[in-house]
Amino acid sequence: MGIEGLGINYSAILPEIILALTGVALMLMEAFWPSRSKRRAGLVTLAGLGIALMATLQLWGAPRQTAYAGMVIIDDFRLLFTAIVIIASVLAVFLSWNFLEEERIQPTAYFALLLFCAVGMALLTSSHDLIMVFLGIETVTISTYVLAGYRRNDLRSTEAALKYFILGAFSSAFLLYGIALVYGATHTTNLSAIQAALNQPLGEAERALMMVGAAMLLIGFGFKVTAVPFHVWTPDVYEGAPTPVTAFLSVGPKAAGFAAFLRVSSLIFGADFDLASAGRALQSDWISALAVMAILTMTFGNLIAIAQTNIKRMLAYSSIAHAGYVLMGIVARDWQAVAFYMIAYTVMNIGAFAVVALIARRGDEHVLIEDYSGLGFRQPTLSFPLTVFLISLTGIPGTAGFVGKFWLFKSAWEAGFSMLVIIAVINTVISAYYYLYVVIVMFFREAKREIEPVPLPGAFGFTLAVTVLGTFYLGLLPTRVFYYLNQAQTAIAHLIH
Amino acid sequence: MVPMSWYLALGAVLFTIGAVSVIVKRDILSMLLAIELMLNSVNLTLVTFSSYFRELSGQILVFFVMVVAAAEAGVGLAIVVLLFRNRQTVDVDQASMLKL
Repeated sequence: MGIEGLGINYSAILPEIILALTGVALMLMEAFWPSRSKRRAGLVTLAGLGIALMATLQLWGAPRQTAYAGMVIIDDFRLLFTAIVIIASVLAVFLSWNFLEEERIQPTAYFALLLFCAVGMALLTSSHDLIMVFLGIETVTISTYVLAGYRRNDLRSTEAALKYFILGAFSSAFLLYGIALVYGATHTTNLSAIQAALNQPLGEAERALMMVGAAMLLIGFGFKVTAVPFHVWTPDVYEGAPTPVTAFLSVGPKAAGFAAFLRVSSLIFGADFDLASAGRALQSDWISALAVMAILTMTFGNLIAIAQTNIKRMLAYSSIAHAGYVLMGIVARDWQAVAFYMIAYTVMNIGAFAVVALIARRGDEHVLIEDYSGLGFRQPTLSFPLTVFLISLTGIPGTAGFVGKFWLFKSAWEAGFSMLVIIAVINTVISAYYYLYVVIVMFFREAKREIEPVPLPGAFGFTLAVTVLGTFYLGLLPTRVFYYLNQAQTAIAHLIH
Repeated sequence: MVPMSWYLALGAVLFTIGAVSVIVKRDILSMLLAIELMLNSVNLTLVTFSSYFRELSGQILVFFVMVVAAAEAGVGLAIVVLLFRNRQTVDVDQASMLKL
């Protein structure tokens, strides 16, 4: 194979290159030109993210192609999810602005880690090979282990980092073993080539390897997207990590994880296989396993969320429940629905966590739901946005959450999973209880003790404004987003030769 | 020539030992070791497939796994040091501020 056979194509991974270079530049800047000003580091980060976003958008409409010997793929699916994770990172930068100052954290390393995490997420969305999936996941998780433990002297934060690390590394090992077994069964790690190999009958031993490998992949991905029964780390990590980091964790890495999950699921198990092929036999098992996982995830997440007294834990269980809804989209193999839901979820969840971060204040002191009592009319600039986000998370018409859920439920229904949709609707009703409970506490309960009003710094004001507007925009005028999504290439299960 | 299944069985046994140790062990350093064992059993499996198939991508993945394992060990040990400074112990049962 000559050098051109390697398919080197810098423009295909331009967003990743820009993000990585910005991260490295930040670290070099700190070495040669030290400064404790977060403004400089923050502006460089935002500039890097902005340029990467532009690089992503200018690839829009490019024909589907693979690069680097089939390792990386560019299609609308990848571009859309890359844009989502970059936007999530931008919002995370704004959320972290005051946190860095209050905790006296060295800003450069923090932003560099955020950028490296963004590189991992972008690679994950573009991976077209199990090797890339593994590398992307590891780049994301290794940087987020550090971010979760960023409040170094706080026991909760350290503990969160530890639990995240042990369970994350444990699940990566499962994912990796799954990759090894799939490689053993199909002699390749390229997703399209795996699909081609599954499109014919396999031997007895290969079928067994493929079966176990698929189960291991499911475990590995389940951990990363916080699906029940692999969710145990989520509440602890979300509670212990600094709130801006939690906000980022719950949207960015999750969206990227879902993107990779969706790609692997549709390419390996979602294709239209021949009747006698090995893939056909595996497919139904994979789909039913996913459907069961979706049901368990949303039901457990919602039921346990009811019992929570800590708002960060409540949002953690809510995030598990939402992962269950998104899994429905993977079962139904409708990536546009998943993409829209991830956009909506990113906007509303970052917004909710922004309010939580503001009220929690330095050292995450006020994180109980009862700390919110009496907040309603005393601080309308916080309570009204939070109400909007909670209503949107419930899925009440007029908000982004409703449109996202509606689309997911519709595509699952059309794909013939009516039972799944019924359970999801029941779950939505259950979730209304704990979301609206917070609203009731804010507006109809007297404050138990006097808490002085929280100042609203500019960066937070900006985040809240953007997310509130985004929630209503996606909820009331989603046609433009629909238009772009419908224009995008629908099939990801399509074979590439 | 040793049959492929022997290597695969060894890999599976090592992986199981590692996974069980992560669950059973109570101190973090042993858990880290067990995770390394799991990753290396995967490496063994990959190398076996790769050499029997005469196909290279498995071996390439092994290099990546080694690098990732090193990075992971670095971050993991840093977290352990942090926990030890805050708590004077490496026993995970002591890390229970966040309720499970």
